Amino acid sequence: MSRLLFHRCSSRREEAPTHLRFTIYDLRFRFKPRYLGCCIVLAALICAVNFSRAATNDFFAQGVELSRAGQFPEAAAAFEKSAQTQPAAGTLVNLGIAEWRRGHAGAAILAWEQARWIDPFDPRAGADLKFARQSAQLGAPQLKWFETASTWLPPDWWVWLAGASLWLAVGLLTLPGILRRRKAGWQRALAALAFGIFLFCITANLGVVSRTQTGFVLKKNAPLLLTPSLEGEVLMTLNSGEPARKLRTRGNYFFIYTGYGTGWINREQIGLVNSE
Amino acid sequence: MAGHSRSRRNWMLDVGCWMFGVFFRFLLLAPFLLRAQAPPQLPPGGLAQLQVAQPAVDVTTPVTATAAFDPPVVLAGEKTFYRVTVDATESSIQWPDEIAAPPGLKFGPDARGQLTQFLGDKFRPLTSFIYEVRATAAGHFAITNFTVDVYGKPVEIPAAGLDVVAENPNSHPARQLVLETSATNVFLGEPFHVSVMLPAGTNNEIEALREIQINGDGLMADKTASRQSIETANVNGQLKPAFICEMVVTPISVGPLKLSAQGFTAGREFTAPIAIRGQVTIPGGPTKYVLLVSDAVGINARPLPVEGELPGFTGAIGTFFYDPPQLSTNRLRVGEPAHLKIVFHGKGDLTRLTPPDPPRSPDWQIIADNPPDTGYTLIPLTNEARATPAIPFSYFDPASAKYVDLTIPPLPVTVLGEGLPVQLPAMDDGSDSGAPLKLSGLAAVPGKTAGSLKPLQLRGWFVGVQLAPVIGFVALWRWDRRRRFLEAHPEIVRRRQARRALRREKRKLQKAVADGDAAAFVQHAAEAMRIAIAPRDAANPRALVCADVLAQLGSADQNNRAGETVRKIFAAADAQFAAAPQTGGDLLALNSEVEALLQRLEAKL
Repeated sequence: MSRLLFHRCSSRREEAPTHLRFTIYDLRFRFKPRYLGCCIVLAALICAVNFSRAATNDFFAQGVELSRAGQFPEAAAAFEKSAQTQPAAGTLVNLGIAEWRRGHAGAAILAWEQARWIDPFDPRAGADLKFARQSAQLGAPQLKWFETASTWLPPDWWVWLAGASLWLAVGLLTLPGILRRRKAGWQRALAALAFGIFLFCITANLGVVSRTQTGFVLKKNAPLLLTPSLEGEVLMTLNSGEPARKLRTRGNYFFIYTGYGTGWINREQIGLVNSE
Repeated sequence: MAGHSRSRRNWMLDVGCWMFGVFFRFLLLAPFLLRAQAPPQLPPGGLAQLQVAQPAVDVTTPVTATAAFDPPVVLAGEKTFYRVTVDATESSIQWPDEIAAPPGLKFGPDARGQLTQFLGDKFRPLTSFIYEVRATAAGHFAITNFTVDVYGKPVEIPAAGLDVVAENPNSHPARQLVLETSATNVFLGEPFHVSVMLPAGTNNEIEALREIQINGDGLMADKTASRQSIETANVNGQLKPAFICEMVVTPISVGPLKLSAQGFTAGREFTAPIAIRGQVTIPGGPTKYVLLVSDAVGINARPLPVEGELPGFTGAIGTFFYDPPQLSTNRLRVGEPAHLKIVFHGKGDLTRLTPPDPPRSPDWQIIADNPPDTGYTLIPLTNEARATPAIPFSYFDPASAKYVDLTIPPLPVTVLGEGLPVQLPAMDDGSDSGAPLKLSGLAAVPGKTAGSLKPLQLRGWFVGVQLAPVIGFVALWRWDRRRRFLEAHPEIVRRRQARRALRREKRKLQKAVADGDAAAFVQHAAEAMRIAIAPRDAANPRALVCADVLAQLGSADQNNRAGETVRKIFAAADAQFAAAPQTGGDLLALNSEVEALLQRLEAKL
């Protein structure tokens, strides 16, 4: 139980006599029956989430067992189901391994890139990517400086960091005035630092958004077409796992930029890191 | 130190001179060491064997021309042909569009043709112009001589005369070709056979035909598929030997079409192997080239129906089928080609059959064989392929006037994966630790999770979340403004508090009346009055007395019923503290006056 007291007329406390002070609000917590319903709904949601996670873990464990048995196509399917239910770095690393072992270099590289998207600090995804690219003689995506900066932290961190730093700076600059306190030097310094962090986070967030258009060729000898049509002239064929950047979409085709040129590719033959 | 560097420089100069000497000697020896490419040695007379003397085309000999009616004597209305022959190329002759003729002669369809006759040691072009002519009345008609430019020089076409008689016991019809078609009602693009026949002349003499040509708009004749024979044929109801040339013609436009044939008689010059059936006489002697034409034959070409067209239709019309498709192997690796062999058969024109276009498949790269082969090279792009892709194909059956599906079915295959390595040998490039690169082990736990791979920046609800701090700051700012306003106007707060307390006291008052509790009624009535007038003096209600309430009522009300009620209430309230409290049965009767009084006081708040 808490008791909050707000005294009005505080600025004229000296003028008004003591007996004229008013007690305005009394915000004490009182239990009401509808709170019980909210608690039940919340508990049900928590149970549902836990049940979903349990199912995800079932697929994950199934995939691990199948991988150990050498049944990589089935293992890849299990890991894919697990990743669809709950994307996780370890699941995607295992999915990449299963795809690699079944000969799908493009799908493996895409899975490892997605694992690094979720957790840039995962050493296995980075090592596997390095191994795959060296083995298949493939290059990594060419990132701009702000895209490179965005890989230092998970994508969601940047946006939360940007929001927190912005509102921290705004709060430090406005709240002392509202609360009738004097702005301290440390508050101004902290506000400046928060604003600087916010500006850097903006560029990193731009990098995150830009990186969502990065994709990888899934099929071997995927044709890069001059026009987005079934009868389009084939400009060249791309290797499985080749990085590309989606520039625009038309029907079932993406207009992509690769290190070898630009052209249209069927969307089934390329997988984007941000596949949703 | 300086001496050391000088000696070093001299040593380098010595080395340079030595290398220059070696290079210079190599240059001197180069003519002896290098051998030029020798020309191919040909035996004596070899070059002469490669050259074949070709007879020249004679265009220098003076051009001659002949003109005649065939036959020269006809009945009135009977058909005859006015034929002009010039021994020059057709393009060199400036032939007039119309020929001056007597009014009694009606000119019909005309034709022209050219061939090259071999005269022992030279070639000489020959061009014929032929007009169908009918005379309307008996008499002698003549087409006078006229001049045309040939090779830029005038050449005279001699006059020709035609006798039209009323009776001609020795008449024989003009010699002409007979054209027969295998069908007269065809579809657009449907090939049909035509037979160009030259019936035997007198004494069953058979002549060959050269430069056979099918005339008519909207038709395409395939000369490559012609077949020549000599056999007995029904010509105008009579069985007689004839030279027959069969060709394939395809209509390329719709509607009623007219076609006719023309060709030069060529004696015994058969240009292709020929089958002869029956007894015929082949004349000897020099060949006489005469341009003959046939009567026009009409056919009707219908458009193909649009409805019911099936996928893979490439224009094939006829009746087709194929042998079971044969795949070179049914077990292959990713990227390894396999050949799918398909052999078509049918009643239609197979030479012009266009095989179906290879379909686009994400799992296969398909390359069609070069015509006339009708196979495909299939390259699997993934090991997920379980069968070759179906290749849609259909043809149009003119007999049933329907499209027939002839899709090449998928064939089951097993595609093996690429077998990617799981470990690479150590690279001694100095950049790494030297340990071999290999695939990592399986992760034991799912690890760090994410709600979605779609970043928060691109989710709509996140923008809504960002609005929450904005709303919070705005609310805080509004609260601060309100607070400052109330600080400047404290009477607003006092009146609001007084109204709230007054409502509370009224409820207690009504409860006391309902309970019949006079003491509580008096107590709450007095308290309500104090509360109602307190904001005016910014006073604590508890500090106010009856006189303060009466002062708020005004001088007129102080002495009337309202003032009396106030006094009674306060007197009774004060009496609560007396040793013998006043019993208040009659005080409850003041309820209506008290309510009216409180209503007046509340209105002034």
